Amino acid sequence: MIEVLVLLIAPLLAGGLSLIVHRSALLHAINLTSMSLLVAAEIMITRTVLRDGPFTALGQLVYLDALSTFILFIIGAVGLACSLYMRSYMDDQVARGVIAPTRLNLFFFLFHMFLLAMVIATVANSVGVQWVAIEATTLATTFLIAFWRRRESLEAGWKYLILCSVGISLALFGVVLTYYSSLHVLGDVSEALNVTQLLPVADQLNPHVLKLAFIFILVGYGTKVGLVPMHSWLPDAYTEAPAPVVAMLAGVLEIVAVYAILRMRIIVDHAVPPAFTGGLLALLGFASFVTAAFFILIQHNYKRLFAYSSIEHMGIAMIGFGVGGPLGAFGGLFHLLNHAFAKSMAFFAAGNIHRRFHTVEIGQVQGLAIAQPWTAMALMVAGLALSALPPFASFISEVQIVTALAVQGVPGQWLTNSGGMVTFALSDQFSSLSLTGLFLLCSVLAFSGMLYRITGMVWGTPPDGIVQGEAWSLGHLPIIALAAALVGFGFFLPQPIRQLLEEATRIILIH
Amino acid sequence: MQISPHIGSQLVDLCSALLLLTCFAIVAQRRLSACVDLFALQSAFLALTAALVAFLTGNHHIYIAAALTGVIKVIIIPRVLKKVIERLNVKRELVMNVNVPAGLLICGALVMLAFFITQPIIPLGFLLTRDSLAIALAIVLIGFFTMIARQKAVTQLVGFLVMENGLFLGATAATYGMPLIVELGVFFDVLIAALIAGIYTNRLQDAFDSVDTTHLTVLKE
Repeated sequence: MIEVLVLLIAPLLAGGLSLIVHRSALLHAINLTSMSLLVAAEIMITRTVLRDGPFTALGQLVYLDALSTFILFIIGAVGLACSLYMRSYMDDQVARGVIAPTRLNLFFFLFHMFLLAMVIATVANSVGVQWVAIEATTLATTFLIAFWRRRESLEAGWKYLILCSVGISLALFGVVLTYYSSLHVLGDVSEALNVTQLLPVADQLNPHVLKLAFIFILVGYGTKVGLVPMHSWLPDAYTEAPAPVVAMLAGVLEIVAVYAILRMRIIVDHAVPPAFTGGLLALLGFASFVTAAFFILIQHNYKRLFAYSSIEHMGIAMIGFGVGGPLGAFGGLFHLLNHAFAKSMAFFAAGNIHRRFHTVEIGQVQGLAIAQPWTAMALMVAGLALSALPPFASFISEVQIVTALAVQGVPGQWLTNSGGMVTFALSDQFSSLSLTGLFLLCSVLAFSGMLYRITGMVWGTPPDGIVQGEAWSLGHLPIIALAAALVGFGFFLPQPIRQLLEEATRIILIH
Repeated sequence: MQISPHIGSQLVDLCSALLLLTCFAIVAQRRLSACVDLFALQSAFLALTAALVAFLTGNHHIYIAAALTGVIKVIIIPRVLKKVIERLNVKRELVMNVNVPAGLLICGALVMLAFFITQPIIPLGFLLTRDSLAIALAIVLIGFFTMIARQKAVTQLVGFLVMENGLFLGATAATYGMPLIVELGVFFDVLIAALIAGIYTNRLQDAFDSVDTTHLTVLKE
């Protein structure tokens, strides 16, 4: 149980210490220590979960199974990469006077609170506590997004705060409805929102209430994931926030929100035919995928390009979960992991480029391979991985999802039930064929848009006045590690990760 | 003192209806500070409803929630908002996307929609306060609408808080309150959100010389 305590206390303590410490080196030391403790605790939890199965801790407050452990693994890996990257990034920002040295401890305090809220959202047993933690992530990150205090960043931060708070309020209504239905079965006990209590009785819960609850929760947490049409805050926030913050938003926060949706889905699927939740997930997934693929084509700002690519990939993962089956669910989870690694790497590269070229316009960045060879490598690897090319792991996960889609099609019951709304529900075969075609078309669009922009930045000669050459720093370490993982996972998935993924898939699929 | 369940149920319905009424008043109100006063009044009704439910059911943990509503939503948040408004020196909400009569009509439609959505699930409730679920959803939707229809940052915040009130009414009335740990967490989040939004309003004022969110159009495709 000590590892669970470490998981919660490390960020809390680090956040508190950050407020009273003022020296930059000490702040980074605290950050790295807390992050390493977090990762160590996660490794121990992974071992326990793989050996003994799911367990509860701290008097039923914490519930850990393969699915939540998998999400913890992503939080730890991306968080550690971010902490290493921050060492050089933040010092540079302070040295250039972009961030006042006195505000550095506020940055770290908010960063740790953000991390703590995400950990709580992942390990919480009660879906109510999970809601509180996800709302807390909004509150912790809004000032991180607006940290540069320019007009644009204030606008992005305000938009993010309002849209996500409203979205999340709708999710709270979903939680209230879940509680409303569970009271009938479990009685008025304070554990009636706990996953461990809900799951055994989930098939007795009222299906009407649960359907309504799931819609509210999907829309609410979907805002946080950035699913179309609730995505409008996302490109702005990703453009304005400092690079390490965006890497955490894109690499981890989105995935925690997806996890919250999946948790709810597992409960709802016991009482309602899985085609209902699957159809809704696939619908939002396709909406996000198609919209983002077209927006990727017209971007001239590289941060927005990556932001839309986030929406695209979350859409793809949602399609995987929606289609379901062992292949679809496994592919969806695997895709979440690959996206977290590739996208945080892309934003590390974007942060480096922005520091050197002082612009976010793609047209004004050229000759990166000469000016910043390491960053050029990172951008290239991240870009290829985000375009889902072999030999990267994201190619494999995308192939898994599209195969599942082609074989099974989108769950049909929901499509035919909604009658006139969806016209292509002619026959199962036709719909699965046309949807697969749509999927492939959008992949090609996103692929060509992404690759065209990125090659334009990497090759050529750098504009006059740009310093050439890149000194080695600690910030390059995470980039290389992530690149190695992205290629390596495509060939060989380490045993513990594979086992976690397989067991998490089983948890999602239990109906 | 014993109150028959029937009368108790009627009393809770009455209080919920008063909450809904203040929603309409907020939509119809053009002055910013009056909006904040109405929000405080609505929260007072909410605290009363919660206390009533606690008394009728004997669930003592709802008293805590009622007291917290009283302190946080009737006293602290309105005070913070008043301070913000004073500093901004804006008295009237002149810009509205929807005029008042149309806004009220839309709100009426939203109430009907809320009753329509919750109709299939209300008979499932066994609690004496189950009818309030429809009213709670109506309040959430009206709060949502207020956020869209108004453009000042402060009124958007009031809309958000109204939504939160509706959710709280739903949680209290339909389920006799969420588990205490969840309720405390929700209060904490709402308080922090209101404070953060207050800080933002000041910064927006400094940066844009206005809190009219129509000026927030720098970021576009």
